[in-house]
Amino acid sequence: MTADPTRSTGRTTPAPDGPTLPDDALADDEPLDLAQVAALVAAQQDRVRAATDVDGRVLYGAWGVAWVIGFLAMWLAAVDDPPVQMPQIAAGLIFFGLLVSAGVVTAVHIARRTAGVRGTSATQGEMYGWAWMLSFTGVGVLAFALGRLDASPEVVSTVMTVTSSLIVGALYMVGGAVWGDRAGFRLGAWISSVTVVAAVVGQPHMLLVMAFAGGGGMLLGAAAEHVQRRRREVPPTQGDTPTVAR
Amino acid sequence: MAGTPGDLDPLIHTQARLRIMTTLTALPDGSRLTFPRLQALLDATAGNLSTHLRKLEDAGYVETIKGHQGRVPSTQVGATRAGRSAFENYMTQLRALLTPPQDLTSPDDGTAATTAPATTTPAQEPR
Repeated sequence: MTADPTRSTGRTTPAPDGPTLPDDALADDEPLDLAQVAALVAAQQDRVRAATDVDGRVLYGAWGVAWVIGFLAMWLAAVDDPPVQMPQIAAGLIFFGLLVSAGVVTAVHIARRTAGVRGTSATQGEMYGWAWMLSFTGVGVLAFALGRLDASPEVVSTVMTVTSSLIVGALYMVGGAVWGDRAGFRLGAWISSVTVVAAVVGQPHMLLVMAFAGGGGMLLGAAAEHVQRRRREVPPTQGDTPTVAR
Repeated sequence: MAGTPGDLDPLIHTQARLRIMTTLTALPDGSRLTFPRLQALLDATAGNLSTHLRKLEDAGYVETIKGHQGRVPSTQVGATRAGRSAFENYMTQLRALLTPPQDLTSPDDGTAATTAPATTTPAQEPR
């Protein structure tokens, strides 16, 4: 340690052989008040967390809205006697637009929060991101492949719904395992289970199952995360000094 | 490392370096920040930040990795193991100093300082 043992706690004790002027001309080398230090640390910790934290409410919220409205539109277009008329092409465009929007929201949010963060966790996140990218490139190509085989709209819709939802569920569970995020794992397990039920239900009502149980599950996930964050924000009753993250 | 409980690490106990260490230790272990992002999170000038980082790096609290992002040189800064434990020690001591004493009659720092030498000197004093 190069710490000068003669200088302690900022109660400026000049080193006997050193200059009497402060060795650092910066104003912030002034002695610090201890209560002020605690507040400073807490404020900076909050700032760093708020700036670098990937917020599950934003991600689950965006995808939840996309699934609820998108699958609902697809269901309206698929059933024989819908409460609201929905042309097939309109439903497809609505769903596609919502999914693209949710993807953009996700990409922008993650890019902003993780900008300039490097190292182990950043590498993990990058690998996880590639898993999503490649999986959904595969889903897109699968739609193309089915179209080339003249598959019926029911077949395309079923395969797309089940494969993409299974991938979402699986990757949420994997993410939960990687980051020790129980809520994320539970959401993934829920989506996978809902997908199994939807596959058994079959067309056209599988779309309704995915809208309410799948998309609804994501919105509940966002709400659960919100509650969890609010609970964490409540200041502890014993003392108000910040704790060190491990 | 630190001797008495009131002996807060002088390397950390300045506003600038305290904020740097707080920022770097708020990230998960093994994570680093690029210099510009760290600068933004601290509202610091580049020169000021470099000066303080050098001191922390000399103490082994901070690690600077110089690399390249394509052709642009990029510097990444992270807290070392030693830096994390120094910061934890600092916070532990700070909490101890901020916690009001349980027993108000127990001697504080001032009396402890005057009574402590008395236990060691008598042996040499008789003459």
